[in-house]
Parts: sequence; structure tokens; C-alpha cells
Amino acid sequence: MGIQPPGKRYGKRLAHSKIFGHGLAGHKATNADLNVTPLVDMFVILVLFLIANFSATGEILAMNKDIQLPEASNTDELQLAPAVAISKDEVLLSGMLIGRVDDLTREDYLNIPALEEKLRDLKKQFEDLHNAAGDQGGFKGDVNIQADKKVTFKIVKRVMFSCASAGYGNIAFATLMQGGGEKDKKPESASR
Amino acid sequence: MAGGMDLGTGGKGGKKPLDMAINLVPFIDLMAVTIVFLIMTAVWTQLGRLQVSNSGQNASEEQQQQEQKLQPITLLVTEKEIKITVGGSQLDPLPITRDDKERIDVIKLVDKLKELKTQQPDQAAITLQTEDAVKYEDLVRLIDTCIGSQFPSVSVSPASQG
Repeated sequence: MGIQPPGKRYGKRLAHSKIFGHGLAGHKATNADLNVTPLVDMFVILVLFLIANFSATGEILAMNKDIQLPEASNTDELQLAPAVAISKDEVLLSGMLIGRVDDLTREDYLNIPALEEKLRDLKKQFEDLHNAAGDQGGFKGDVNIQADKKVTFKIVKRVMFSCASAGYGNIAFATLMQGGGEKDKKPESASR
Repeated sequence: MAGGMDLGTGGKGGKKPLDMAINLVPFIDLMAVTIVFLIMTAVWTQLGRLQVSNSGQNASEEQQQQEQKLQPITLLVTEKEIKITVGGSQLDPLPITRDDKERIDVIKLVDKLKELKTQQPDQAAITLQTEDAVKYEDLVRLIDTCIGSQFPSVSVSPASQG
């Protein structure tokens, strides 16, 4: 048996004990580092993806679960304007109920008086606001029609006529954008 | 010492480790906040617009004069066929056929519109006279086809007016 340093000496049974034996010397570090590199990588990719899809204009039209928009490829960017929503059951202007589709289909008039009145009010509000601010000629008459794909032209026609009568002649049909349209390659606008 | 890093040339004392860990916690915090903001403001549906008009509206006098020189193109859209009229003459009607997704098959119409475009390259206007029973989806598809065939000025009017 060799020379041992002075101090406590434990028996064989406790020689490797963490409490008494040599285990006492081999401390494991209590602070474990978490490898955050994959997390940072994922965050960077996620941020890049979200920034690529970021739209500064935000959501222009509130999507309604009752309205399934048709698809089109040769579209322009949607502008912020009053939106007339036509679902299978009802016609709404910026969320306000204008009439029920069944009732409007039965009538033979070309316009929808309630819609026309509401649009005139909106136009007046817009003009009053801009006149007060000293801004002349700001009214372009833009209106978005957001109709369900199964709605018949009879209703759309009445909405269009009402919009035109109220001074909103710049009518745009809201559609879902189909990828890879010709418009993406060569921009052009459909104008009156 | 160069840039705070021990190059191992120093004295006898305890060497500092060469590997340095950048504190990533603030970076992760910033990323987390940015991701939450971007997800909250993300627009998941890509919407577009097809602008339509009534015939002649918003057109300048010069445009109207130019349009008068050209033969107007009109598509009379019914549930079963599309009748194309150029000037005063009516072409053979195109029967409406649909694909498996119930969408109008526009191949023949595209060919016809290309032919008309070659005949009148300056013509940009086209009028869709639509019957009441026509579905909005079909109307949008036809407008989209017309714009895609280099007729950007699309007017929509009821069939009875024509």
C-alpha cells in the first residue's frame, strides 16, 4: 500500500460514493447550457417568411364565412373603399344589413334604395370631412363589391346600379388572387 | 491581448478560454416579439380586384373618338352560350362548357379574343352583356379572361339593355 495523503480514508465500499469517496472530487457542473442555435435558426426563417408576406395596407376587406370569393389571375391590388358584401342570404354595406337576397330577387326594381341612401350618406361624410380639411376633389367613387361566387347577376346588377346612382362609379369586384397570372408579369388596369 | 481575447502569450497565470459565447437571449427576445407582431398583422388571404364599368363612363373625349373608329366588341353572356358581336355582325355563338371544378372552359373564347385583338390591335374595350341568371363566378371568370386577352377596359351591362 502506497503512501496516502493525510485525511479521511473510506473503505472500499464507500470509495466511489459521491458523498464519501472519490465521487466527491468529480463534481458535475450544475449549470447546463441549452443549445439555442436551432431555435435562433428557426426564428430567423420564420421572421423572413413573415416579412416577405407582410402587407403594409393590412386587411382591406373583412372576410365573411358566408362569402366564397371567385378566383381571378389578372387582378390589381385592392384599394381601401366602402365594401358591399353580397352573400347567399343578405346584402351588407360595411357590415350594416341592407336587405335580404330573397326579397331583392323578388323585386323588379333596378336599384336598391336602402343601399343607395347609405352610400350617399357615406359620400357626404367623405366630402364634408375633406372639405373641412381643405382637400378638394379627393372623392374618386371607389367601391368594392365582395360577392359570393354563387350569387346571380340579378343581385350584382342591382348593387352595381345603386353604387353608380349614388356616385360610386369606380366599381371593383373583389376576388381571390390566383398565382402566376399574366397580370403579375405585365401590369395593366381595367378602366372605365 | 487582442480584442479582449487571450492569445496564450501572456504570463504564467490562469489562461482565459479562447471560445466566447455570444449572449443570444436579447436576440431571441427580439425575434419572439417580432414574430408575434408579424403573425398578428399578417394577411393570410391574397385579394385582388377586377375593375368594371358602364360603357363610355369615365372615358375622355379623345378615347371616345378613338373607340368610335373601332368596331365595338360585345359578349352576350347567357347560361348556355356566349354570343360575340363585333360591330354589327354576330359571330358563331360559343357554347359554355365546364371543367371538373364547374368553371367555364375559356379556351375557345381566348382563341376568339386573340383573333379579334389581331384584327383590332387598338381596341381595348369590351362589353359583357350578362343575363340575370348568370352566376357571379362565371362573370368574374369571363372578365378575367377578357383582361388577360389584352382587353383591359371591361364594361358590364344587363343583357336586356343591349
